Amino acid sequence: MHSTLVRGQNVFGFFTTVAFSIAAVIAVSVFLFPQNPSAKLQMRNVQVVKGRPHYYSSKREEYAHVKFDLDMDLSSLYNWNTKQVFIWVTAKYPSESPTEPMTEAVIWDAILPSPSEPWHHNQYVHYKPSPSSSSRTLKSKKPSNGTPGILKLKGQRPKYQITDAAGKIAERANCTLELNWNVQPWVGALTWTNRGDYGLWKGLTGGRSKSFDFPGLKSKGEAAGATKEEDLKTMKGAEANRGKPA
Amino acid sequence: MAEELLEKARDYFEGQIDFEGQRLAENLNVGILVAIGAISFLAGYITQDIALTLWIGLAGTALTFLVVVPPWPFFNRNAVQWLPARSGGAGITVEVDGKKVS
Repeated sequence: MHSTLVRGQNVFGFFTTVAFSIAAVIAVSVFLFPQNPSAKLQMRNVQVVKGRPHYYSSKREEYAHVKFDLDMDLSSLYNWNTKQVFIWVTAKYPSESPTEPMTEAVIWDAILPSPSEPWHHNQYVHYKPSPSSSSRTLKSKKPSNGTPGILKLKGQRPKYQITDAAGKIAERANCTLELNWNVQPWVGALTWTNRGDYGLWKGLTGGRSKSFDFPGLKSKGEAAGATKEEDLKTMKGAEANRGKPA
Repeated sequence: MAEELLEKARDYFEGQIDFEGQRLAENLNVGILVAIGAISFLAGYITQDIALTLWIGLAGTALTFLVVVPPWPFFNRNAVQWLPARSGGAGITVEVDGKKVS
């Protein structure tokens, strides 16, 4: 500590020790906050149609289009160290060969930020006003004041149509929808969906739909006639930001 | 003149402090940073605002740098009393290979 340089080095060195220790304590402190997440997930409507992976493809595949209702309360996942929670809904059904694990495909997802996170256009809800919000878009970009982690979706369109690895998904049986999450903290470890209890953290109750079977293939005329074309559209998330930097 | 100025500048930037000052600087460094760390964690935990922890921690660290790094006068209050210099050569003889050097 005899000279300026040595004092500077010592202060900085001990600062890193303190900063790391505080970060470790913060990371552990999340276990003091009780969690009791719950969710109700229901399949609303499912249709299977023929389609192609992209416009110029000559490959024809079967695509399932699953609409769902979700009534969830993940508000207890939010504490002072939560940056955002990523949630996604999967359709899970037995593979063709019983020896193989279940097939899982994501039909919808969302980034649910905590109120402490800055605005970003990829977020599903916004708690901070957009930094670039001009007066003409002010109404649509008004920040939410709802409780983070609470969502009520009715007849939600999927973001992604799903198909099987075989390209055939019609009349497959025993499919269930499942809610999954990933909590991303400011400091510390990521945590995923848990269904068991760990200390103050209760597992997810509900979050699984009743099982359903995929219906038979709808012919093109039938699809156009019996159901409105609108019904087969997917929902783009708020992150549909083509042309803008992510 | 230039030599003298350079010497002064060197002393200034080296910022030497006395032994008692070094002990004090070490204690201040550890004490302030630990206190700030505890305060920042508690403030953030109570208000449930992690940004507060960050800013208190950074501000406290800046304060620590300000207090500990410059050679403040209070680090130089116990100057070491050196023994008086002896007049050159008196009483001491240095011999190298049997030859008297000084």
